[in-house]
Amino acid sequence: MNVTATLFGQMLTFIVFVWFIKAYLWEPLTKAMEDRSNKIAEGLAAAEQGQQKIEQAKIEFTTRIDEAKTKASTIIGDAEQKSKLIVEEARNTAKDEAAKIAKSSAQQLEQEINAAREKLKADVAELSLVCAERVLESEIDKKKHNKIIDEVINSD
Amino acid sequence: MTEGPATDNPVQYISHHLQPLQVGSGFWQINVDTIFFSVLIASIVMFISYRVGQRIQAGAPSGMQNVLETLIDFVNDLVKEAFPKPNKIVGPLGLTIFLWVFLMNAMDLIPVDLLPKAADMMGIHYLKVVPTTDPHTTFAMSLMIFILCIYYNIKIKGGFGYFKSFLVHPFGIWLAPINFILTMVEELAKPLSLALRLFGNMFTGELVFLLIALLPWYIIPLPGSLWAIFHILVITLQAFIFMVLTIMYVSLASEESH
Repeated sequence: MNVTATLFGQMLTFIVFVWFIKAYLWEPLTKAMEDRSNKIAEGLAAAEQGQQKIEQAKIEFTTRIDEAKTKASTIIGDAEQKSKLIVEEARNTAKDEAAKIAKSSAQQLEQEINAAREKLKADVAELSLVCAERVLESEIDKKKHNKIIDEVINSD
Repeated sequence: MTEGPATDNPVQYISHHLQPLQVGSGFWQINVDTIFFSVLIASIVMFISYRVGQRIQAGAPSGMQNVLETLIDFVNDLVKEAFPKPNKIVGPLGLTIFLWVFLMNAMDLIPVDLLPKAADMMGIHYLKVVPTTDPHTTFAMSLMIFILCIYYNIKIKGGFGYFKSFLVHPFGIWLAPINFILTMVEELAKPLSLALRLFGNMFTGELVFLLIALLPWYIIPLPGSLWAIFHILVITLQAFIFMVLTIMYVSLASEESH
């Protein structure tokens, strides 16, 4: 074999060929492949993270539920106690009120009895006065009386 | 060309088939068939590569992109094994060599008389269809690789370091002349063996096809198909060996120490 133009022609073809493959196939395609593998890795990592988040959320969920349950039971207990207290208080106030009412009504009754008694007294006095008047009226002799009255008047 | 059955004159038949289509002489001797077929193959590969490169499907590749991605992965694995540091040239270089050599070799599988006969009818009387049976092709590649190796040697070790490596290997500085000769031979043997291996394999392969073609027509199918099947292995293997050795040589050239 001699050193000929064919050799240099083939060398040139080779250089152009390698350059072309590098520029238009190798670089874009390896980049695409790298991007893809990165994307896949990212996706897998994201999936893993998501799984972890779910796990965490589950734990949080159960703790929250437990918390809520205990809170609810304490609230119910408190409410029961409070309601008991309120009922007790209401009962006490009602008792007091009843006692007060009973007391005042007894007083009023007494007052009324007293008043009635007073009135009765007055009525009896008036009645006896009327009776006495009637008796006196029927017994009176006008002349005699007038004479007495005149005497009283004239005696002064 | 007017000739009787090939078997009438086997020597003429074979030498005719191994005669390249030449234009010019001396330095300006141009093997038109070699350049035509190698450039044609390179153009087809470049065209397909360009199309694939322009419409890359990022998510789910299909068709040709899959094939090329597999090849790139394959080459990249070899490169990563050989190179501790990333190298931008060697990957595309290896892929190009593999594709080009493989496809040029594959021209061997086209029946030996088909294209020359067709060309003969169009008035072209000599045609060698397998570019790798022309040493110009194989030496063109191996010399480019040789130049690349020298470039890396000088880039990594420096001009003086590279020269020193000729003197101190393999026996140390006290046997510098012998070292120089040995290293020189070793370095020159690399491109030479690379080119001659491929050329020799393809040339003899072609020769065997020609010999088979000389057999009576009713015998041809059996050895012909057997040799073709075996040759599928050979052409792939030769392309692979060329690529792997290229990667090895360049990686040796770009090693720090020595």
